[in-house]
Amino acid sequence: MPIFDSIGIASTGATTYRKWLDAVSDNIANMNDAVSTSAAAFQQRYVIAQPAADGNGVQVGGIALGSATGRVVYEPNNPLADKDGNVRYPDIDLSDQMGQLIMAQRGYQANLSVVDRAKDAYQAALQLGRNA
Amino acid sequence: MTIAPIGAIGPVAGPTAITPTSGTAGSSGGDFASALAGGLDNLQGLQNKSDDLAVKAATGSLTDVHDYMIASTEASLATQLTTAVTNKAVAAFNEIMRMQA
Repeated sequence: MPIFDSIGIASTGATTYRKWLDAVSDNIANMNDAVSTSAAAFQQRYVIAQPAADGNGVQVGGIALGSATGRVVYEPNNPLADKDGNVRYPDIDLSDQMGQLIMAQRGYQANLSVVDRAKDAYQAALQLGRNA
Repeated sequence: MTIAPIGAIGPVAGPTAITPTSGTAGSSGGDFASALAGGLDNLQGLQNKSDDLAVKAATGSLTDVHDYMIASTEASLATQLTTAVTNKAVAAFNEIMRMQA
């Protein structure tokens, strides 16, 4: 993106925040996945954001996974419960996820605002000398 | 009394080679043409990208909604820039053509 650099950079930001939104969505969707205590719980997804390899913008370097231990809950009526009546739940805090959701949403919106403002600025530049 | 003979006419010196003027018009014209061609190539690339994403949006394989909107914005801006440059160049040419002695 040789001419419209700021638009391209904001685009990488929007993509990164979209992936963060996806990760939060995944975490919330799997928040109540009960498994037996012999299996691994759903691991919380963390997006690893880092500067882009080409130096323009940001990129997702990978996904880090949270604890597979989760939390052990006493639910003797659950068909997955072991002989002590315990099942394993993912260790995901909903309020933490909601906070991340708001940050990801605002970040996404901020990047799209940058695109809009940059577009307005470039269009203003194209008006230079229009009435000369 | 003796009359001195008329001397032979010496050889005429050949015309010196005309040195070409340093071509300001030629070089700057080439630069503008290449700049315009580069701009058109860039515009073509941006429009192709936007078209590809439009097809993806229609077929449902678009992963990022903003990708398409940003690509179409870029293509639109590049079109505006290219037409602005072209219009300016044509205006300059017309201005010169209107010159009168």
